[in-house]
Amino acid sequence: MERPIDIQLEKLRNKLIKMGSLVDEQVDFAIRAIEENNLDLAITVIERDLNVDKYDDKIEKVCQKIFALNNPVAMDLRTIMSTLKINANLERISDLSVHIAYIYKDLGTKPAFFGSLHFSEIFRLVRQMLKYAIDSMINSDADTAKRITGVDNKLDELVNLDSKILINVMKNSADTVEQGVLTYSLLQELERIGDHSTNIGEEVYFAVKGESIRHRSEKSKENE
Amino acid sequence: MKETKIKINNLSVFFNYTQALNNVSLDVFNNKVTTLIGPSGCGKTSLLRTLNRMNELIGGFKIKGHVFIDDVDIYEKNIDVVNLRKLVGMVFQKSNLFPKSIYENLIFAPTINGIKNKTELNEIIEKACIQAAIWNEVKDRLTENAYNLSSGQQQRLCIARVLTAKPDILLMDEPASALDPISTNKIEELIYDLKEKYTIIVVTHNMQQAARISDYIAFLYMGQLIEYDKTSKIFTNPANKQTEDYITGRFG
Repeated sequence: MERPIDIQLEKLRNKLIKMGSLVDEQVDFAIRAIEENNLDLAITVIERDLNVDKYDDKIEKVCQKIFALNNPVAMDLRTIMSTLKINANLERISDLSVHIAYIYKDLGTKPAFFGSLHFSEIFRLVRQMLKYAIDSMINSDADTAKRITGVDNKLDELVNLDSKILINVMKNSADTVEQGVLTYSLLQELERIGDHSTNIGEEVYFAVKGESIRHRSEKSKENE
Repeated sequence: MKETKIKINNLSVFFNYTQALNNVSLDVFNNKVTTLIGPSGCGKTSLLRTLNRMNELIGGFKIKGHVFIDDVDIYEKNIDVVNLRKLVGMVFQKSNLFPKSIYENLIFAPTINGIKNKTELNEIIEKACIQAAIWNEVKDRLTENAYNLSSGQQQRLCIARVLTAKPDILLMDEPASALDPISTNKIEELIYDLKEKYTIIVVTHNMQQAARISDYIAFLYMGQLIEYDKTSKIFTNPANKQTEDYITGRFG
């Protein structure tokens, strides 16, 4: 038997899936803009951010309505709380895609030192993390959600490595600083997309299992 | 630190051939509000009425297991049931005031307990009415018939009347189910305040009310205790699927 709240939750889920696909495309376009040296894709990312913002507002309103009218508890409560946080993370990922699109516009071409850094692998990891995050969200799959943290560690390692390389290059040649700073920012934005994907995975895990894994990775890092 | 006030051990209750409770074990903590929830016929009221031996008034009642209050088995042969019911007061779904004045309702318990001194009686009823948050509404109307009060006031007067017997434990069987939201809110505030001095056990069908007022929740189904935990745990992440289904309205 369907409960009145089920209709609202289904509506919420559909909106979140649509937002997830939009954001997935935003990241894909932002990365492809750089990979393919394609300014049109970068402009599309900037323009489409407005659509993501609209979904962000819609999802928040549906959540408010469910809270006000249905007094959700247990799994329902966790689902709505997680949806609110996933929504905020997706909206932020779209903003970061826009930042990447602007950085590309400012660079006017592929980043300097593109070949000597690990961009291909970083792009792959970022895409994989976001895919895991969205898949786990759609399928309420706690196992996939938990796998994101492992990928995030690899991403952080590569970003740290490339950041050090860039700093060394800039130290040695003042001419490289302008391009170097932009490329450094690009790396940081990609790393942040990874962090937000990790957050989404943690929220999915909380909604499904009812336990938080939010600060576990930090704790294990401390113990290492 | 939480301290056990009532210890229920392997309790089974029968009414003729019907088993109302099946092997229930539960520790109720001192100065906490514990709420019993579950669908109709699950044994909530039977469990509540077991705690002051009210079930014995029903024919065919039989009990297995033990109920300890302050480490004393209340089903021992030498237990004085009248004294037990002074210790364990009860408030019902509908107010059950006597068709007498407010004053006569309030002095009933102290009088049958042998208190005759008027000043002492007045002190007891004033204290009880203040605790039940009804003093300001009745202090100038004590000679009026209790039925002249609103239903919310009548229910609080019932609580005050229970308090005049100086109980340790308060049992409340759906105390606000017949009241409007404002009176319900007053009863809930009252329960919250009273737990400082009393151990309170409430039966309610209202999930939001259970969430608002209780420290612990026991979910019963078909006479069995399915889950007993802190309210916050039950309403955010219950351990049992049946509890989850019940509190989210998926049952049946």
